[in-house]
Amino acid sequence: MSGLLFDEPGPRARRRIRLATVAGVLVLLALVALAVRQFAANGQLAAERWQPYATWPMWRYLLGGLWSTALAAVVSAALSMAGGLVLALGRLSRRRAIRLPAAAYVEAVRTIPALLLVYLVLFALPRYGLDLPLFWKLVVPLSVSNAALFAEVFRAGILSIERGQGEAALALGLTHGQSMRLVVLPQAARRVLPSIVSQSVGLLKDTSLGFVVSYAELLYSGKVLANYNGLLIQTYIVVALVYLVVNASLSALARSLDRSVAGGGGPRRRKITRVPR
Amino acid sequence: MSALLDHLPEFWQGLVVTLQMTAASFLGAAAVGLVIVAMRVGPVPVLRAVATVYVETLQNLPLLVLLVLAVFGLPEIGLKAGLTTTAIVVIALYEGAYIAEALRSGVNAISAGQGEAARALGLTFGQSLRHVVLPQALSTVVQPLGNIFIALTMNTSLAAAVGVVELTAAANRVNLLEAQPIPIFVGAGLAYAAVAACAGFVTGRIERRLAVAR
Amino acid sequence: MVSIKRVAVVAAVAMAGLTACAGTDSASSAVPGAAPGEGGGGGVLAGAPVAAAADILPGSTMEKIKQRGELIVGGSLDAPLLSQQNPATGEVEGFDADLGKALAKYIIGQPKVKIVNSASETREALLANGTVDVVFQTYTITPERAEQVAFAGPYYSSGLSIAVKKGTTGISTPQDLNGKTVIAGANTPAIPVIQKLAPQAKIITFGGDPECVQALKQDRGVAYVQDETLLVADAKKDPELQVVGTPFTEDPYGIGLKHGDDQFKSFVNDWLKKIQANGVWQGIWKNSLGSVVQGEAPTPPEIGSVPGS
Repeated sequence: MSGLLFDEPGPRARRRIRLATVAGVLVLLALVALAVRQFAANGQLAAERWQPYATWPMWRYLLGGLWSTALAAVVSAALSMAGGLVLALGRLSRRRAIRLPAAAYVEAVRTIPALLLVYLVLFALPRYGLDLPLFWKLVVPLSVSNAALFAEVFRAGILSIERGQGEAALALGLTHGQSMRLVVLPQAARRVLPSIVSQSVGLLKDTSLGFVVSYAELLYSGKVLANYNGLLIQTYIVVALVYLVVNASLSALARSLDRSVAGGGGPRRRKITRVPR
Repeated sequence: MSALLDHLPEFWQGLVVTLQMTAASFLGAAAVGLVIVAMRVGPVPVLRAVATVYVETLQNLPLLVLLVLAVFGLPEIGLKAGLTTTAIVVIALYEGAYIAEALRSGVNAISAGQGEAARALGLTFGQSLRHVVLPQALSTVVQPLGNIFIALTMNTSLAAAVGVVELTAAANRVNLLEAQPIPIFVGAGLAYAAVAACAGFVTGRIERRLAVAR
Repeated sequence: MVSIKRVAVVAAVAMAGLTACAGTDSASSAVPGAAPGEGGGGGVLAGAPVAAAADILPGSTMEKIKQRGELIVGGSLDAPLLSQQNPATGEVEGFDADLGKALAKYIIGQPKVKIVNSASETREALLANGTVDVVFQTYTITPERAEQVAFAGPYYSSGLSIAVKKGTTGISTPQDLNGKTVIAGANTPAIPVIQKLAPQAKIITFGGDPECVQALKQDRGVAYVQDETLLVADAKKDPELQVVGTPFTEDPYGIGLKHGDDQFKSFVNDWLKKIQANGVWQGIWKNSLGSVVQGEAPTPPEIGSVPGS
């Protein structure tokens, strides 16, 4: 794709590119070296500040947090996918009475910060006698907000199926519901699979709001650790690396799914729609 | 309700900070996104690699983690700025990755003939990007950019965790004092929804404009 | 008044089995005599009393807990010296945590507790709907709160203090904070107190104690207002910090119980008197708060001496 914007560079352009590359890399390395030196000068690289993260108990604790993160992400993903499917179908319904509330939900929830929803569940519900367990205090607001995002992914997937498919199903005598269920949705599901995985990366990132709820997910576990050993920066660097490894693997999975779905048929090349966060 | 009205100055102050952060970080994110997308579709392999790593890294880290690391980590490497400034920069860098991806899919949607025609006319890479490809790409990405703007507005609320008193933090503080969570948080939620509605309205207008211009 | 209180909550954490989860069965390593870590209450708990069978009245809350074999405590995981989880052992350690274990031993015969991580905003609800038996969480007794929960104690008295970077001058009282930038823990009672005593102070908040300390060291603010004990602990860990002046508030901590359960309340008050008389309270203090504060254990506040208790 990118090849169309420029010609294959000639010998002089290649030399310029090489020079610029070397110069750029050198400048970058110099900046990094400077930063590391300053970091070390502030004592942040001292061995004893990193040593705890070379020990098993710390990692066991963080991996426990990661497990909780995964659990919250999986449960929220399941709930918000179910909700999202209902909302997407509702939004595509032919009845206004169904279409409008579904659209209103999606548009409204999309514009409210998840953090604010967390605060509502955290502070407001207990006053009305509804005090959810910690796990649900994180999962409920995440599901409420992500259902709207999944709804949009599903809707795009359903709309991407050629009209002829649904029309052919209707012509065969299937009802609207049957044509959705038997013809359109199975094809749409294939198409949105990569988007679902990358959407789930976003959801997994959202579980870091457990930090606010004090549900012992990865980021909150990092907080407890930092409280325990006082190594704030080191702890968050380690936590960030764990997130990076997990999410990058999931993103890679999304891409390979995308390739295999694309290879398996379907006339158009689809891209993974990533809902911005 | 009175909890809300008694503390209007605090809410207003918070809303102003939220709006400032949103505007500043969206401008920054747009700049970052343009640079990254130019690197990503450009001819220099190293720049392509750097841009890819950048996008992958930032899209795979929770913003909250980035914020905490930047606020407490950067001073340790000698870069210290105010809390709000730090938060704006971090959000701009983070959302810049999303803008770059949105622009890239816009660029990819432009038919290959456009770029080839621009080159055939003798335009350089920069010129064909600036005069031919990006203007067309922009009109297809207005909607995605609008969505990023809304997400960015929501994301400024995370700055509350690193000491910035924006709308969410202001609401939280008023709640601490008044213990009236429902009106306070619903009020704050409405303010966010209003900002997002404005954004939706504006993107709708722009989209129609650009659609006619083509 | 919850010292390092993040915005936060409650909960029976839904997952089981992992060391990371909040519910921590402390029986294994807190058995009397088992080597306690520094700050662990194991050694002290050996001398902790067990209630006479006659005191566990039939049909009472105590009997219910005894039959369950576990005391469910509303508390924190991230309050150093008071109720902080040790990641290496999964054990929750500190003054509040050890008192909880001692109460469990008094009722059940063994220090078996399960800590439900709670937030200051939800403690009343947790007690009212019976999710937890007791709350040990720097729970300041106030007459307003006493309308919703019963308080045994007070079992300890603390107060807010000010920490600055060493070498800072001109700050010794809360009034000196006027016009300055002050750091406080998010959702701690320090915020309204500063707003009242120094209305011109600019308050910035961070999630936890380490964040606040780091912010103070990086000059994000000139002073950090927090529970005195915690500040003393921070100053001990970090020579750059200095606690100035004396505490300017008085916060009597109570043990939160279900509202109206007078039977349980007098039972817990009896237990408090016993452990204060036989030195267990003082031992627990020495193991936790006493590890950073110099001198002997303070005289515990008189039970029932505060409005609301």
